Amino acid sequence: MRVSYEWLKTMVDVPEDPQDLVREFVRTGTEVEAVERVGADITRVVTSQVLEKVPHPDSDHMYVCKMDVGKYNVDEKGEPCPLQVVCGAQNFEVGDKTVTALVGATLPGDVKIKKGKLRGVDSFGMNCSSRELGLDADHSGIMILPKDAPVGVDFVEWKGMSDTVIDCEITPNRPDCLSMCGMATEVSAMLDEDTHIELPAIKNESAEFGRTADMVDVTIDDAELCGRYTARVVRNVKIGPSPEWLARRVIAAGARPINNVVDVTNYVMFLTGQPLHAFDLGKVSTRDGKRHIVVRAAHEGEKLVTLDGQERTLTPDMAVITDDGNAPVALAGVMGGLNSDIDEDTVDVLLESAVFDKGHVSRTSRNLDLMSEASIRYERQVDGARCALVSDVAAALFEQCCGADVCEGMVDVYPAPVDAPQMDLRPDRVRALTGAPIEAEFMASRLERLGCTVTRGADEHAPMHVVAPTNRPDLTREIDLVEEVLRLWGEGDVEPTLPAARNHAGGLTVEQQRVRKIGQVLRASGLCETSTYNFADPRDLERLGMSEEGRGVPVKIMRPLVADQSQMRRDIIPGLLRSVAYNLDHGVQNVQLYEVGRVFFGHEHKSQPDEPSYVAGVMCGAWNDDQWNKKYVKLDFFDAKGVVENLLDALRITKVRFKAADPERYGWLQPGRAAEVIAQGELLGWVGNIHPSSLKNFDLDVPVVAFELSVKALLRLAQRELPYKEVPTLPGVSIDLALVVDEDMTCEQVVQRIQSAGGKLLADVRLFDVYRDKIRVGEGKKSMAFSLTYRAADHTLTSEEVEKAHNKLVTKVMKSTGGEVRS
Amino acid sequence: MAMSDDLNAIQERVQEALAGAHSLEDLEKIRVAALGKKGSLTAIMHMMGKVPPEERPAMGKLANTVRANVDSAIKQARLQIAKRALDEKIMAEAADVTLPGRRLSPGTEHLISQIREEIEDIFCGLGYTVEDGPYVETTYYNFTALNAPEDHPSRSAKDTFYVVDNAPEGKEKHVLGESDVLLRTQTSGVQVHTMEEKKPPIYMICPGTVFRPDTADANHLPQFTQVEGLVVDEGITFGDLKGTLDYFCREIFGKDRATRYRPHFFPFTEPSCEVDVSCGVCHGKGCRFCKNTGWLEILGCGMVDPNVFHYCGIDPEKYSGFAFGIGVERVAALRYDLPDLRMLMTGDMRFLRQF
Repeated sequence: MRVSYEWLKTMVDVPEDPQDLVREFVRTGTEVEAVERVGADITRVVTSQVLEKVPHPDSDHMYVCKMDVGKYNVDEKGEPCPLQVVCGAQNFEVGDKTVTALVGATLPGDVKIKKGKLRGVDSFGMNCSSRELGLDADHSGIMILPKDAPVGVDFVEWKGMSDTVIDCEITPNRPDCLSMCGMATEVSAMLDEDTHIELPAIKNESAEFGRTADMVDVTIDDAELCGRYTARVVRNVKIGPSPEWLARRVIAAGARPINNVVDVTNYVMFLTGQPLHAFDLGKVSTRDGKRHIVVRAAHEGEKLVTLDGQERTLTPDMAVITDDGNAPVALAGVMGGLNSDIDEDTVDVLLESAVFDKGHVSRTSRNLDLMSEASIRYERQVDGARCALVSDVAAALFEQCCGADVCEGMVDVYPAPVDAPQMDLRPDRVRALTGAPIEAEFMASRLERLGCTVTRGADEHAPMHVVAPTNRPDLTREIDLVEEVLRLWGEGDVEPTLPAARNHAGGLTVEQQRVRKIGQVLRASGLCETSTYNFADPRDLERLGMSEEGRGVPVKIMRPLVADQSQMRRDIIPGLLRSVAYNLDHGVQNVQLYEVGRVFFGHEHKSQPDEPSYVAGVMCGAWNDDQWNKKYVKLDFFDAKGVVENLLDALRITKVRFKAADPERYGWLQPGRAAEVIAQGELLGWVGNIHPSSLKNFDLDVPVVAFELSVKALLRLAQRELPYKEVPTLPGVSIDLALVVDEDMTCEQVVQRIQSAGGKLLADVRLFDVYRDKIRVGEGKKSMAFSLTYRAADHTLTSEEVEKAHNKLVTKVMKSTGGEVRS
Repeated sequence: MAMSDDLNAIQERVQEALAGAHSLEDLEKIRVAALGKKGSLTAIMHMMGKVPPEERPAMGKLANTVRANVDSAIKQARLQIAKRALDEKIMAEAADVTLPGRRLSPGTEHLISQIREEIEDIFCGLGYTVEDGPYVETTYYNFTALNAPEDHPSRSAKDTFYVVDNAPEGKEKHVLGESDVLLRTQTSGVQVHTMEEKKPPIYMICPGTVFRPDTADANHLPQFTQVEGLVVDEGITFGDLKGTLDYFCREIFGKDRATRYRPHFFPFTEPSCEVDVSCGVCHGKGCRFCKNTGWLEILGCGMVDPNVFHYCGIDPEKYSGFAFGIGVERVAALRYDLPDLRMLMTGDMRFLRQF
C-alpha cells in the first residue's frame, strides 16, 4: 500500500518528518518497504513562456523558440534573458505558458538534459510533455499551462507536487490497511491522535435523472460467490482528464490516471479499500428497458476479454458479472471486461460496489496469473457493511469531477448482512499473556482509536465489551484484541524474562547423542559431512544397479521443479556419487564425503512413506595429496572398511562380521570388493567398491568405495559401554607364524582357527603380511604372516611354556586349515 | 724415587692422551692402557709389594691419588665427549621449522549441521528437548492444525510440493492444494505432533529439513533447514518469548548484538512478531550488508494461537505458550556472508573443508 504523506496529512495529524512515522509503523507492525520522495526526481524544471517561434531552417517539423524562463537565464549584467530551445512539438503558439527543463535538469526515469545541437541549431533545454514529467501518459505535445501560470518558477514547487510516499507491506490479515481511511485509523491509534476524515457527499441525487431501480436489477446467482452487490447509475458524465489533485493522489497510490470516471473509481478504492467498477451503461444489454445484472459462476471454457486486452478462458470456480445472465461483462473482483469499458463516448455509468468471495477471487487471480488492485483487496476480504456508503462517495465525486447527474437510489442485494463481531477483553488476561503492566484504560482507548466500540469494565480487572469495526475481519476473538493492545503498547517495551520450566528436563536423548557420535567418528576417520537433495531422479536406482526390492514404491512429487528431482530418494548413494562427479569436474581428486539422511520408502496403499535414516559415505582418490614427508596411497576397499570398523568400535557394537556380498543382491557393488556388514546376526548395511558399470552411469571413471549403514540398526546395537578388561601387567611373548594356506581360505577362517587352537595363553593375533608367489609359496596359495602374543595373567611365562603352547597351536592350525608353516 | 716419577709420568701421559681423544672408543683405549688388567697403572700397583716398607704408605697414597685423578679425568672426558656427541646430534637434527607439519586430515562437519547443533545446544542448555517429525507430511499437520485457512496462499502448489497420495480417502478438503500429502514446508507441524503426544510442560525445538518449490539460485534452495521451537506451560508470557529469543540471539550472534521485535502476522501465533538482530557489520548504523536499516531479520515467532491449542486438545485458559522458527541457512548466510546458497548442496570439498 502506497501511502501519500500529503494525503494522509488531510486525515490525521502526523509528525513533520515522515521518517518519524516510518519508525512508528515498524514499531507497531506495518512493514515499510520504501520511502519515496515524489518530485525529487525532477530538478531544474521551470515554468516558461514562448516569446518567439520560428521554423527550424533545416527541418519541416521543428521550431527554434525563445523561451522566457525568468531568473533562470540571465545575461552578463544579471538581467533575465530568453533561452533558445529547439522544440518538435506542434501544439503551441507564441505566448503559451509551458514547462522547460534547463540544461542540467533531471526528469523521471533518470533522464538528464544536456546542451544540445539539433540539426545545427543550439538548444539550451527542452520543453516537456506531461509524460516526460511523469504526470500522465500524454505525449501528444508539450504541456500547456493555464494563462495565469507564473513564468520562471520551479515547476515542482509551483505544482505542489512534492510529497512523500511510504510504501507499506500489508500482512494478509489487515485488509483495512489497503485504504487511506484504514491507514489514517491505524496511524491515529499508533500516535494516539484524532482522525479528521471528510468524505465527499452527493449534492443533488434526484429522481429527475431517473431512478436506479427502474434501470437496473441485480441477481446474485450463488451467494457463496458474492456477499453483496450494489449498483448505481450516474448519467451525462463528461469524460475528460481528472482534476489535478485527484490525479496526483491516484498516481501517488500507484495507479495511472486514465480518465475522470475511471480515476474516480480508483481514487475511491484507494480511499476506502472498496474496489469499484464502472460499466458503460450503454454497452450493457437491455431487456424490457432494463439492465439485468447477474452474478454467477463462469461456465467451463467461457471466454472474456479483460480490460488489459487479454482473452481469458474461465472455469466454474470463477465468478463473472453478466448482463442478463448471458455474456460476461466483468471477471468478478478481478478485472472488468473490454466489452463494457468506459471510453470517451461514455455518457451513462453503471457503478458496481460489491463484495466477492475472497477465496474465489484469490484462486481466480492466481489461476489466471492476473493480479489487480481489486483482486488484492478482495483476496483479503472487503467490508460488506460499507458497500453502499462507498458507492455514495463515488457518486459524489462523479458529480464533482465528471459533471454527472446522480440518479435516485441504488440497487442493493445483500442477502445476509454481516454483523460486527463482539467480544469481551479481560485486562488481566492481557497482562497474563503479555507479561506487561498494561492499564485497562490504555487498552480501551487504543481499541477505540482503531474503530472499536468499547464498553469499559468497572475497574482495572473487569472485562470490557468490545464491538470490532466491520473492516477488521481479523478481530473476532479476545486474543486478536490482545495482539492489537500489545503491538500498540510496544512489543519492544515488554521486559524480557526466562520461563522457569518447572518440572521439565531437557537435553539430547541417548539416541540423539549417538547420531552425533556417528558424525564425530566419521569426521575423525577423515570424511567430510555433506548435504544432498532428498529428491531423486526416477532412474537413479536403475542407474546404480540397485534393486527396488525392500525400498517400497517411490514418493512422487506432483509438480517437480525439474524432471531429475521428481521423486523422493530411496537411497543416498546416487546423490553422493553426483557430489563426487562435481568434485572431479572441478579438479578435486580426493573426495571423502558422508551424509546422514533420510530415504523414503512409499507404500502402495498408505499416504505417507517410511522415512528411515541411513549413514552413507563415498571415497575416491587418496586421503590427501602427497606431502614432503608423507605419501598417500589410493583409497581402496579397506579404507572404507576401516572407516566402518572405526564407527562400529566407537558405538561399542560387538560381534561384527564382514561377509562377502552376494553379487546377485548387490548389483551396484564390484564382486569380490563388497561386503555385508553384520553385527550380532543383524544386517547393518554394506561396504564396497561401487561397480564400474554403475560408476559409468554417473559419469565417473575413477574407483569409488562406499558404505551405507542403517542408522536405526546402529542405534539398536550401540552400547553405552563394554565391560572393563584388565590392562596386562606382565610381559607377553610374541612369536611370528607364517602360514601357507589355500587361496580361498579367508582371513576370518584362519584367525578363527588360530584363536580356537591357541588356548588360554594366546592373548593376541595380528596379521602383518599376506604374500603370494607362484614359486616360493605355490600356485593357488598365499602366505599369511601373524604375530602371536602369549601371555598369562598370573605369572611370567617361561620359554618352555610358550614353546609348548605354540607348538600345540601350530599343529592344530595346520590340521584345521590344511596349511603349512612357511619357514 | 723411580716409582713416583713413573706414577706422575703415567698421569701426564693419560692427560695428554685424553686431550687428543675424540670418541668413547679412544677413551676406552686410554682407560685400558692405564687401568686395565695389563694397564700401566695396574702394573705399578702390582709392584707395590716391592717397595720398601717405609716408603710404602707414601707411595701407596701417591698411587691412589694418581689412580683417582686418572679415573676422574677419564670420566670428565667421557662427559665432555658425550656432550659433544649430543651437540653434534642436535645440530644434525635441526630442521626448517617452517616446513609443513605431518597431519592427519580429519573431516569437517557441514556448515548447516554445525549451526543446527549450536542451536540445539543453546536450547538444550535452557532445558529443551529435541523433537522430530516426518518430512512427507499431511496437510492437516502442515496447515490445518496450524490454523492456516483452507484457501491460505501457502497451500497452493506454487508454494508447496504436493506428492501423490497413495491412499486418497479425502480426509481434508483442499481448495488450493492438490493432495492430502506434501513435503513439509515448515517444521511447525512437529509442534502439533509434540502437543498431541506430550502433556505440558513442553519445551522443545525441532530442527529439520523442509521443502518449498523455489528454484535453486543464489538466495533460494528448494530444500532447506528450519529450527522450530515451542514452549507450552502455565503462565508463559510474551516476556518469556522475548527473554528466550534475546538469549538465543546473543548466544548465536554475539553478546554485543541487540534485538528488535516487530509485530507481524502468522496464522498459528498471536500476537506474532519478527525478530531482527542489529547488523554485525555496522552495529546498527546502516550499511550495504543490512540494506541500510541497521537490522537483519532472523526469525519469526509469537504466542501460540488458542486455535492451535484447540486442535491439539490443550486448554488455552490453563496453558499458554510461544513458538518460533529460525532459518538455519539464513543464520549461516549472515554469519559468513555466503554469496550463493547452492554451495551448501554441491558437496564441494573445497567449500566443506572451510568450516
